[in-house]
This record gives sequence, C-alpha cells and structure tokens, in this order.
Amino acid sequence: MSAFMRFDGFQRDQSLPTRLVPFTTTFLFTLISVVPLHIPGFAVVTPSFALMAIYHWTIYRSDLLPPVAVFGTGMLLDLLNGAPYVGTSSLLLLLLRQLLLSQRRFFVNRPFAYLWAGFLLVTTAMTVLEWALVSLLHGSVLDAEAPIFGAALTAASFPVGSYLLGRTQRGLLMRG
Amino acid sequence: MFIVLGKADVLLFDRLRILIVDGSAPILEAVSQPIATAASGVHNIGAMFDVYGENQRLRDENARLLEWQEVARGLAAENTRLRGLVKLAPEGARSDVSAQVIADSGGAFARNVLVSAGRRDGVARGQAAVTGEGLVGRVAEVGDRASRILLLTDLNSRIPVVLESSRERAVMAGDNSVQPRLLYLPATAVVKAGERIVTGGAGGVFPPGLPVGVVASVDGPNVRVEPYAELPRLDYVRIIDFGLEGLLPPNAVPVAKPARGPKVVGDPDPGR
Repeated sequence: MSAFMRFDGFQRDQSLPTRLVPFTTTFLFTLISVVPLHIPGFAVVTPSFALMAIYHWTIYRSDLLPPVAVFGTGMLLDLLNGAPYVGTSSLLLLLLRQLLLSQRRFFVNRPFAYLWAGFLLVTTAMTVLEWALVSLLHGSVLDAEAPIFGAALTAASFPVGSYLLGRTQRGLLMRG
Repeated sequence: MFIVLGKADVLLFDRLRILIVDGSAPILEAVSQPIATAASGVHNIGAMFDVYGENQRLRDENARLLEWQEVARGLAAENTRLRGLVKLAPEGARSDVSAQVIADSGGAFARNVLVSAGRRDGVARGQAAVTGEGLVGRVAEVGDRASRILLLTDLNSRIPVVLESSRERAVMAGDNSVQPRLLYLPATAVVKAGERIVTGGAGGVFPPGLPVGVVASVDGPNVRVEPYAELPRLDYVRIIDFGLEGLLPPNAVPVAKPARGPKVVGDPDPGR
C-alpha cells in the first residue's frame, strides 16, 4: 500500500473504464449495504461499506472520486435506504472528504493499523454527527443503540473492505 | 441545503425516491435471490436435525388448532347471524398481492423494506402489508415494479390502534426501537402487559381488527408494544388492498392550496 501515491504520473494514460473504478466500486459498495442477508436484526446495523469506499479512495485516489461523486453516493445511500432526511449522508460524506484531504499525509505510506485507527475515528465521528443531525431534524432524541452497533460493525469489517478495495486498486489502476 | 430542500420540495424527492426504487429493483432482485436460496438452504440443513421434535410440536399444534377451528366456525356462523340481525354493511372486498423482500434497507435511522411488487401488480400507497403473524407496516412509496414498506418501528410510522379487550384507542408510533410506543392513550385507560393490540379503523387508514402485537411493558405513560410480525426477518409480505381511501389519497402530496376567492354559488334552478 505504501507505493500507491507514486503512480500519479500514469493517470493520463489510463482508459476511461479504469478511471471509473473508484466510482464503480463505491457504487457497488453502496448497493451491497441494502441487500437482505436474512440475518435477523442485521439490516439496522449493516456496516457502511460506502463509507469504507469513500475513505479508501479519498486517501489514495481522490482525483478519481470528485466531490460530485461523493455527493451522488450520499444521495443514493439516502434514497435507497429510505432515510428520513435525504441529504444527510451527502453532507456528512462531503465533510469527511474535506477532512481527509487535509489529513491525507497521516494515512498515506503508513502501516494498515494507522488506516484502521483513522477509520475507527471517522466512523465514530460520522455516527455521532449523523445521530445528532437526524435527532435535531426530527426534533427528539433518537435511540442510539442501533447506530452504535452499526458503527462497531463498520469499524470491525474495515479490513475486509479495505482488502477488496486495495486489491482492485492494485489490479486495475496500477497497471496504468 | 439539500436537507432543507428535501423538507420543502416533497414532490421532487418523492419522485427521486421512486426512481431509485424502480431503478435498483432489478439489480436487487437478481442479487437477493441467490442469497435467499443460500439462507434457506442453511436453514433447511439445520431443520433436518430437528425433524422429530418439530413433528411432535406440529402434531400438538394441529390438535390445538383443530379445536380453535371449531370455535372459529361457531363464531363465524354466529357473526353472520348477528350481522344479519343488525343489518351491518358487508365488509369490503379485499384483494392481496404477495411480494418478496428484495432489500431490507433502512440503515441506522430508518426502518423499511423494498418489496418486488409495484403499481403494475396493483399496489398503491397506504395499503397494509402483513405476514401470517400480523401487521408489518404500510406502503409508503410505489414504483412501477417495486415499492417501499414503512415498518411499524420506523420513526415516521403512526398507526391508529385499539386495545382489544378494553377498546381504548391510541396511536402506535415507531421510534426506531424494536418496540413502538402507544401515544394519546386516554389518561383513564388501564393498560396491562400482554393485552392484544389490533388496528383501529380510525381515519380509514387500515381496516379495523388486523392483529398488530401485544403490550410488552407499561411504565407510567410509556407503553411499549411488541409486534407480532418478526420485522427483522421478513422474507415475504402480503400487501392487502381493502379498497380504503386512507388519510391521503394515493400519491397525494401536501401542496399549499391557492387562496380561494369568494365562490359564487350556482343557481340550482336554470329555468329562472
């Protein structure tokens, strides 16, 4: 993972389908989170795979996942989920993107543990913010149990998501 | 800003939601089918080890249900006689559609499912979704081939209900927890845990008498209901059309009406 950032020079040579990889994987990760797995109670605590994808691509190839794609992912997530307030995810994901871009040097060329720790912080912050925002919009303090479990599962399943994204990145984007 | 827009321009967002529901339905149907098959396969293997006990349990249950059948037949006959006596209007015709759950979306802040039946199957907004156990929720959005069902536990779910034995009316409100709350119970109402809750006919939202759940806990004004339907593990639901108009006619959107000027009442007698 340490060599990811040295490949910026190859970007212009990459074909359009390859350049769409971050977008496509983010889209797929967003869809995965709504597929019913027939595990009782899982739906409300499904890990946020979309968050992983945006975290990963913002750190490694933010040029291929522009703000409009992040915004679109948030909208898709909200509309697909039937979220009570459409746009909350977009807002939070764009905030995340901005934050990550300013802190990127802490994550690039670091061991995986750094990435994971960073993701844990990000998930916690996103969950608290989303809970606060939805509570505010709804006008009452909402049950926090499901969001907390969801965040824990998201953080716990990060290695899987990160591995898949890393493999995709190495397999497709690095070939140039 | 978008969040504010979503609150202001309800129509636009309703269309967007329906577009997404319809657009993602084929993909979700394709993906959910093998997963459902795998899940039922695993379940079947587990069930094979329990065939003897299961058989015994079913025999017992069958015996009990046969007794109930006798009771129900007697009651049905009596009911018909009594209805005839008081000249009660016959119950409206109902038709239903079975639909597979293709996405149990919702995330952490919403409780809903997407099902594989839409307008072309006769589904309309406001219809009741039930399983064999009881009420699941109501149809909130309808696409052409898929629709979204707002579960009883959702933040925005409000169902008029009746406590079956005391006949007290209340509104069952979801708050994203597993057990919805009863609101607007009369202060004099005496509620006991274990009492059955059925839908009330108020507002023409649902037909009266659909089983909903039982009172799980009573803590002063905080009364919680345990739904009969196993909401976290829905595979199939039935969407029932009772021919009721409901509070909102299908696809009605709250739009501010233009102010009316003084209306001239037409002359009933054109000959003058």
